[in-house]
Amino acid sequence: MEGKAPAKARFGMVIDLDRCDGCGACMVACAVENNVPPARPSANDRTGLTWMRVHRATGGGPQGGDAVFIPVSCQHCGHHAPCVSVCPQNAVDVNPETGVVSQIPERCLGCRYCMAACPYHARYFNWWDPAWPAGTEAALNPEVSVRMRGVVEKCNFCHARWHAAKAKAAAAGKREIDPADYVPACVEACPNQAIVFGDLDDASSPAARLAREPHAFRLLDRLGTEPKVFYRSEREWVRRLGEADVAREAKEA
Amino acid sequence: MDAPLIVRGLRRCSTRRFLAWMLPWAALLGVGLLAIGLCLVKGLNQTNMDNRFAFGLWIFLDLAVIALGAGAFFTGFLLYILRRHELSAVINSAVVIGFLCYSGAIGVLMVDVGQPLRAWFTFWHPNVHSMLTEVTFCITCYLTVLAFEYLPIVLKNRQLRRIPSFLVFEFELHKVMPVLAGVGTFLSFFHQGSLGGLYGVLRGRPFAFRDGFAIWPSTFFLFILSAIAVGPSFVLLTTWLVGKISGRTLVRPGVFQLLARISGWLLAVYVAAKCVDTLLWLNRTAPRTGAAPYQFYAWEPFGTWVLFVEIVAFGLAPALVFLSRRLRARTGWLVGAATLACAGVVTNRFVMTIQTLTVPTLPFEPYMLYWPSWQEVATFLAVVAYAVIVYSLSFRYLALFPQERELQQG
Amino acid sequence: MFPGIDGFAWDTGHIVFLGAFYTVLLAIAATVSLAAMRSRRDFRLHHEQAIRWQAEFHDLPASCRRCRHELSGEVADRTCGLGFDCRRCAEHARLLAARSGGLPKAAVSDGVAAGFRVLADRRYHRGHAWVRREPDGSAVVGLDDLGTRLLGEPDAVELPPVGSRVEVNGTGWTLTRNGVRARILAPIDGTVTAHGGPDCGWALRVKPDGDGADDRHLLAGEEARRWTAREAERLQIALAADGVGAALADGGVPLDDIARAITPSELDAACGLVFLEP
Repeated sequence: MEGKAPAKARFGMVIDLDRCDGCGACMVACAVENNVPPARPSANDRTGLTWMRVHRATGGGPQGGDAVFIPVSCQHCGHHAPCVSVCPQNAVDVNPETGVVSQIPERCLGCRYCMAACPYHARYFNWWDPAWPAGTEAALNPEVSVRMRGVVEKCNFCHARWHAAKAKAAAAGKREIDPADYVPACVEACPNQAIVFGDLDDASSPAARLAREPHAFRLLDRLGTEPKVFYRSEREWVRRLGEADVAREAKEA
Repeated sequence: MDAPLIVRGLRRCSTRRFLAWMLPWAALLGVGLLAIGLCLVKGLNQTNMDNRFAFGLWIFLDLAVIALGAGAFFTGFLLYILRRHELSAVINSAVVIGFLCYSGAIGVLMVDVGQPLRAWFTFWHPNVHSMLTEVTFCITCYLTVLAFEYLPIVLKNRQLRRIPSFLVFEFELHKVMPVLAGVGTFLSFFHQGSLGGLYGVLRGRPFAFRDGFAIWPSTFFLFILSAIAVGPSFVLLTTWLVGKISGRTLVRPGVFQLLARISGWLLAVYVAAKCVDTLLWLNRTAPRTGAAPYQFYAWEPFGTWVLFVEIVAFGLAPALVFLSRRLRARTGWLVGAATLACAGVVTNRFVMTIQTLTVPTLPFEPYMLYWPSWQEVATFLAVVAYAVIVYSLSFRYLALFPQERELQQG
Repeated sequence: MFPGIDGFAWDTGHIVFLGAFYTVLLAIAATVSLAAMRSRRDFRLHHEQAIRWQAEFHDLPASCRRCRHELSGEVADRTCGLGFDCRRCAEHARLLAARSGGLPKAAVSDGVAAGFRVLADRRYHRGHAWVRREPDGSAVVGLDDLGTRLLGEPDAVELPPVGSRVEVNGTGWTLTRNGVRARILAPIDGTVTAHGGPDCGWALRVKPDGDGADDRHLLAGEEARRWTAREAERLQIALAADGVGAALADGGVPLDDIARAITPSELDAACGLVFLEP
């Protein structure tokens, strides 16, 4: 259910697509931080769990063959988040303090209605029972709960790290967290520092500043979802990728 | 051998022949139960659904079967509330079919969800803004109503009615049947609509998203209309089919004519409403969300021919046949039109469940398709087999068609 | 949903939605409970027999439910709506008054209708039982000629215990032949005082309720003969061979034991039609 009080902070991201080279370090770091189980041998790109997922798109340049890499995670929609209103069990929680949209796996029935609703395809289903090969469970992150088979999961802006930042601030007697303490795994891992994370409502944060620049855009703006993940690029054809009606070559994947 | 169980005066085939008819369906059910077992034990990786195609054959089956099962509530409404007494000839059969459709749908739904044991969570943590919550509550209540409408038919079995408490309870239940029919109509109106609402509210899927009235998108009303338009057609079709398979005359021709006329008028209204809705959607709703409508049909397997087939071939054509007295008097045309109408509602549900998911929402995604796995197909066929088995037992041992005995005597 | 669950708050949406559903559930539960409670009351008031007859009459084919006045030609087309209980029928009272002399006088002599005997000293019930008033105020009850010939020599007879009650259109007694159970409807209200047998020519002696003279629902005389002829027709049509269509004999006498000449399933269907059991 949507929180009643206005968010005290609105955490968001700005991802610089001119810096992203598609290395996938963000994907790996996300999986490690959030205890995403290794894929089964029969999994493919449509059944795997990739809370952060780097897409490749082509379009610009002289022959339209220039490529860009677009990391897509949950966009943490700010308004009319499609997944929040459709969940029959209220298993999607919007934190009023952070604006983060997170999944409650213990309450999820696995009906996958939220997955049909999400236009960013940012939600992933546990088609298998999570299984860690012997010994690898020692590398699990103790701060993050593991999920079970048959439930939906997705990016939650490394909410455990926010809790850790809050605990640290509380231990130091402070009420507000130090922004430097709350850095999601993907932001931390990117070698080109393409992802900037911060409170969009805090005018002094780099994320808020970058989000307001003219070359910033969001995906599927006209749906009215008000996502908190921004992208930026100097290239116009890349910015046009935010529009759904960009002509595409119709082909089957 | 089982003659004491059969309605007096009705002729039914020999027990051996009946078992021969049931055997392949039982085998199909067995294979289906195996597939269901695999899915429940090993997980939904047994299906070919994936993160792009979160809904597949089963959800399509659920929606289609619930739309066809609308004949139960609508016939009940016409008979008990609007007092069209000719329909007492088919009400029992319609109720049984409705019960089988809804119980089958709920059975498949329990396999479809990732955590079936958490099914009660929707009742404990209901999200009143979600169409799926409404659907869950409604079809659960409605299945209860259908069970209480089926019960009297079972209690009137030749041997069961000899038990005085069964007979008396059946008598009293029958007296309150109009109340149950009314409740059933109310519930059905809402869940048929909410099943449409499921897709109409998806603002993230411009292919499915519709404007509407207050909180209800236009698909809410279109689904109700299509369900009540096709309900009588399905009752007609199944009655004819059962008559053909059993070799008996089950109802007077006037009953078919009435069902056809009702279906025809409602279909005509539905086609008109659907055309208006489609035009509004293509010209206003979809472009407003940033989607280019031509892209909805740009991919060959699902070109504009789908739209044409759904509305014209499976909607307008049967409506015209039903409304023509000359054509509907001929059984071939009558049954053909009923089949087309049923195909139309099935196509509509397919478009809303499967085609919606093929259309990409992000510009850097391709169109995608999915083929169901054998486990999914086997589960689907298990539901069909279950329905055939229970219906066959009902046809043999219960008085589903009150007019049959008189028509038998010529 | 209830207090204690994290993040839950009641709002209008909850009240409307959950209110609607629990109202619906309550309506369903109340309706079914009402039916159950009424059933219990029916048993307490010993209405099972009456209810059974009402339910079965409703399930009979239309050909079994023709009004006696249609059979006697007084009205054109009328289906009985009261389970053949002419005692309660306003239309029957009206037609009796119109017919001069009230109840038809019992015919002076015995008769034969379509080969079946219709006797003058008794009145006939639509279920093929007859009633004969005895001088001592009791009544004897038996099965008529058509019923007797249809069933022939029964394999088993179940009579109600002496001292038990019988009621009009309730269970009288049961005869079994070739595996087919035929339930003969009781033609009068009363208490069983004695059992009869094939030697006596009657099945039960009954002490009628009250003054016991209400025979308005029973047939006699010409009316009974016409009815018997019509019943004989119905029986022949029911027993017609497949594919022949409706066939009626144009001569001869009915067999003493029709059951011996037909299959058990044909006997079963015939008994249903004749003894008014769907």
